[in-house]
Amino acid sequence: MKTGFRVFLAVILTLGLSWLTFVVAPAVQLGRAKLEPVLNSSDTWPIQPSGDAALGLQVYRANGCAACHTTQVRQEGVACEVVLTDAGNNPAAVSNLLSTLKLSGLTKEQADAVAARIAAAGGKTETHIVPTGADIARGWGVRGSVAADYLYDAPVPLGNLRAGPDLANVGLREPDLNWQLLHLYAPQAVVSNSAMPPFRYLFRVQKINGTTSPDALRLPKNFAPPAGYEVVPTPAARELAAYLLSLKADAPLYEAPFTPAIAKP
Amino acid sequence: MSEEMKPDLTHGEPAATRATTPMWLFVLLLALLFLGGVYFDHHSGWFSAKVYAPYTSAEEVEQYQPRSGAAAMRAHGKQVYEMVCGVCHGNDGLGKPGQAPPLAGSEWVNTKGDNRLIHIPLEGLSGPITVKGQEMSFPSPMAAMGAALSDADLAAVLSYIRSAWGNQAGAVTPEEVKAVRAAIGAHPQPLTAEQLQTMPE
Repeated sequence: MKTGFRVFLAVILTLGLSWLTFVVAPAVQLGRAKLEPVLNSSDTWPIQPSGDAALGLQVYRANGCAACHTTQVRQEGVACEVVLTDAGNNPAAVSNLLSTLKLSGLTKEQADAVAARIAAAGGKTETHIVPTGADIARGWGVRGSVAADYLYDAPVPLGNLRAGPDLANVGLREPDLNWQLLHLYAPQAVVSNSAMPPFRYLFRVQKINGTTSPDALRLPKNFAPPAGYEVVPTPAARELAAYLLSLKADAPLYEAPFTPAIAKP
Repeated sequence: MSEEMKPDLTHGEPAATRATTPMWLFVLLLALLFLGGVYFDHHSGWFSAKVYAPYTSAEEVEQYQPRSGAAAMRAHGKQVYEMVCGVCHGNDGLGKPGQAPPLAGSEWVNTKGDNRLIHIPLEGLSGPITVKGQEMSFPSPMAAMGAALSDADLAAVLSYIRSAWGNQAGAVTPEEVKAVRAAIGAHPQPLTAEQLQTMPE
């Protein structure tokens, strides 16, 4: 084969170029990623997880949670929404104008045009940024996931199969520690049609010695242990639950902007 | 090895000969290059680490940053609150026993008007006070914490506490703060709850 060396060179060049652009370049770019400033705030993102939550990531990994759950919210686009804040001196004219205008699902330019028309009628408005997409419509997050969300995770448990719901914001959806523990011990006790297998080996069934332990699970009747026994979480279960509670990507960032709703109680 | 399996070397090693490259291949490659360029322009974000879909450039991300006046004022109010007020009233607005009463759900915060509320940080408050049906007293009075803040800062922080933690009262404007500050004049004494109740809401 006279062309052997040329073929070898071509293969090295092709593989080398893709290695440089798909492995080295992103590692250089994101390998030095630092905390991101949160929009309109002095806070930084992400929040450092507690020690329990950091250990919980390893429990998450060891139990193969990422095989059925993703932790990434996809975003398809952004829409602008114009919200009236002050009707001004001529509320009748402004409300007449509002009834003729489309106020949500706008592009930036359309929103600016609508805001200018309302301002001309004397009303004051603000423009809200609303991320859109199927994941967001399902209630799995307020915005798409970005690299900064995973700064403290090693490894990053992105997952690629959604046999169960996405968990990127499970700490926001179910902020109750007892719910999380109950769900790990008996998923069907809290979500009746859940396909998740129970992780009972993360818990201990023990004889009640005098009084019930303060951290014993309060299980519904058909999942409860026999009388005189109680179910208590092991450290691994607590760590996993702490990790799940720490999953909340709800800060507006430069690369993932949105207008947060007014702080809830 | 049998005789038939030996390679036939009578014609030597097969070799490539030269021929002109067909024109259609060039056209196809150029078309692919053009399509690649268009795709790159639409989806690469010029390889910025801060540009994610659906944005196509850093300029477009910049264009979509929230700039609404009220949201920025609320954020500023939160910042001032956590620096000045949160130390005693708690960042969650629930107050701290022995230090300060709660603001979340408090009838002193969720007033119809904001005249009384503006007086509290400008003049301070002392003595027992009934909040949410519960009589509370504290070892030390509230100092005039807001006297040192600018009208805009105080308006932002009062608007924040009236809209945070489930409170749903109207915003406070810097002009209203300015008017109350002018009416108080110099050297105010800490108010009491009774004095406050005599003022218009």
